[in-house]
Amino acid sequence: MKRRTFLTGAFAGTAVLALGVNLYPSDPIAIGGDSQYRVLFSVLIPVLLDGALPEVASQRKLAIDTTIDAIQASIDVLPIDQQAELSELLASLESRLGLLILTGSMTPLMMRSPVDLTNMLEAWRFHYLEMVQTAYLGLRELILASYYATPAHWGKLGYAKPTFLLNA
Amino acid sequence: MAIIDPITTGLDSGWQHIDASTLQQNRHFEADVIIVGTGAGGGTAAEVLTEAGLTVIMIEGGPLKSSKDFDMEERHAYPNLYQQAAAMKTADKGIGIFQGRAVGGSTTINWTTSIRTPKQTLDFWASERSVINTSAEEMLPWFEKMEQRLNITEWQHEPNRNNGVLREGCEKLGWEHTVIKRNVTGCWNTGYCGMGCPVNAKQSMLVTTIPAALNKGATLISRAKVTKLEHSGDKVNGLTATALNEGLKPSGVELTFSAKHYILSAGAIHTPTILMRSNVPDPHKLLGKTFLHPSLLSGGLFDEQINGHSGAPQSIYSDQFVWRDGAAGDLGYKLEVAPIHPVLIASKTIGFGQSHAQLMANFNKMQVMIALVRDGFNEQCIGGQVRLTDHGFALDYPLSNDFWAVARKAFLSMAELQFAAGAKKVLPMNDGLDFLTSWKQAQQVIGSMDLRLLKTIVASAHVMGGCPMGEDTTKAMVDSFGQSHYFTNLSVFDGSMFQTSLGANPQLSIYGMVARNATMLAEKLKAS
Repeated sequence: MKRRTFLTGAFAGTAVLALGVNLYPSDPIAIGGDSQYRVLFSVLIPVLLDGALPEVASQRKLAIDTTIDAIQASIDVLPIDQQAELSELLASLESRLGLLILTGSMTPLMMRSPVDLTNMLEAWRFHYLEMVQTAYLGLRELILASYYATPAHWGKLGYAKPTFLLNA
Repeated sequence: MAIIDPITTGLDSGWQHIDASTLQQNRHFEADVIIVGTGAGGGTAAEVLTEAGLTVIMIEGGPLKSSKDFDMEERHAYPNLYQQAAAMKTADKGIGIFQGRAVGGSTTINWTTSIRTPKQTLDFWASERSVINTSAEEMLPWFEKMEQRLNITEWQHEPNRNNGVLREGCEKLGWEHTVIKRNVTGCWNTGYCGMGCPVNAKQSMLVTTIPAALNKGATLISRAKVTKLEHSGDKVNGLTATALNEGLKPSGVELTFSAKHYILSAGAIHTPTILMRSNVPDPHKLLGKTFLHPSLLSGGLFDEQINGHSGAPQSIYSDQFVWRDGAAGDLGYKLEVAPIHPVLIASKTIGFGQSHAQLMANFNKMQVMIALVRDGFNEQCIGGQVRLTDHGFALDYPLSNDFWAVARKAFLSMAELQFAAGAKKVLPMNDGLDFLTSWKQAQQVIGSMDLRLLKTIVASAHVMGGCPMGEDTTKAMVDSFGQSHYFTNLSVFDGSMFQTSLGANPQLSIYGMVARNATMLAEKLKAS
């Protein structure tokens, strides 16, 4: 059996049917502005980037907003198949049944504590189902890569690109 | 100091370049030779064929970007210059694949490591896969020719500390190690090769063979994705391409091409994909068998500053473990280092939250080893298979128990080397592990750790195979000189010709073989 996507096999078929998820969305995924996924990322980013985000509230908010913009930029350049998989995952995390399947609880993510969210990600990370691990890895890569893609977030790394071309 | 951009200068001088995203209506093009792809194979072929006086059109799926665009930021380089914005993966997500997609192909974004095809590999192809006239001795003049053309010479400067650790570890342990030859002229030693050379020091196809071909009247069409070949009998009759918009999505404009001869140099995934989509004969099911040098990573933390982002990304390698049991024997692995930039390291490490933030806080004290497993030589690691999907392709690459066995050995070697070179802590990139604090502890933990799909980070920067060369049609789609066994006017000139992986970084192998094959083809076409 091919492990094609985030969801797999009979389990996938059931979940997709139950969720009514369109496997190949015609609309691009939007996460910025007032879009439906902004809140979702706003609660996941502080958990995945705990220890990396600034502590000061105003700077922290700015860093989260910048990361959401960077995530949108990352999503926009993904090929259609990968966008479809991500769309499927995000839809699952917004749906009560999807949450129940993935996390064992219907409580929306934005109503869970950081500790609960950390535990949820840790459970996915070492889950026996590859599709759940893939969900963890996909969100992890998207969020961490987008955060560290932004020059404003390189301060703690001591990394800066060379300046020799600035006056060229 | 102002950097002269040879692409801007060339375009101003009247090069024939068409950005297909600007086309409003369908177009037809004709030439003596159509080359699909502008990487190591297509670029080399374009120069040889135009030099011979033939008219050439190069078609590239990616955009034409040049030093003025190379701003040393991963957030721009990956979407502009890499396949799938550098997020390409095998179907089961087990292996992340880095491959170029821009004019110059992967040569625009590679780390400049230039190694002749290992003799062991060429001997194996000759004895097992019916490849003729391609021994190390026969290839020598072609490697020398391309080394001269692209200024491929041993790196004369002190390796950066990332590579210095590899050298020191090898010296302490008595392991083989070699200074790398690089295709650079006047390199500024900054470390941004992977994002496009900002000073045009890297002698990629983008600044060498492609400008030479354009200067001689060749035409370059960028942002055009070849979808299929038209063929009948033993002839290819034409090519069809879709123009892409600036976002590299189909614009709806269709381009058609006809020529005396067609060359596929679209890389080891896209060349076989085009052939499969065109329903060419493949009676022995050879198309799309792909090799990746699947690679493991190990991070070492040092007291000193490593600054792995700065300086030539690769200047030392070790072949201590590649050929220990011969080409057909147990799997082996080549030891190199990877440059350390934020997105690359953030995504190819393990964990999240506090542990990951801690890892990133030590960014400049981290040294990163990679172990590239040579695949495709026997049943222990047969490689992968490309298949078509509704929207493109997928690459199935099952990671076997034998692969995990050699991965464990590779993690041990990398940790041993890092501790020998003075690392305080070592983290094999296998999820669930904490930093290891001694070689003794590393032996225990790595010796018993669970290695498996998704848990162990596996990456590839070398895509090879998919349209193999050789004389026996049960083993090869093209002959030993890249000429199709099924179509008289079709050649394949890229890494997809390889019968196995190489056990070495591939660019110089492609340059040398294509220089020879294109020279032969030019003679044939001129005589006809």
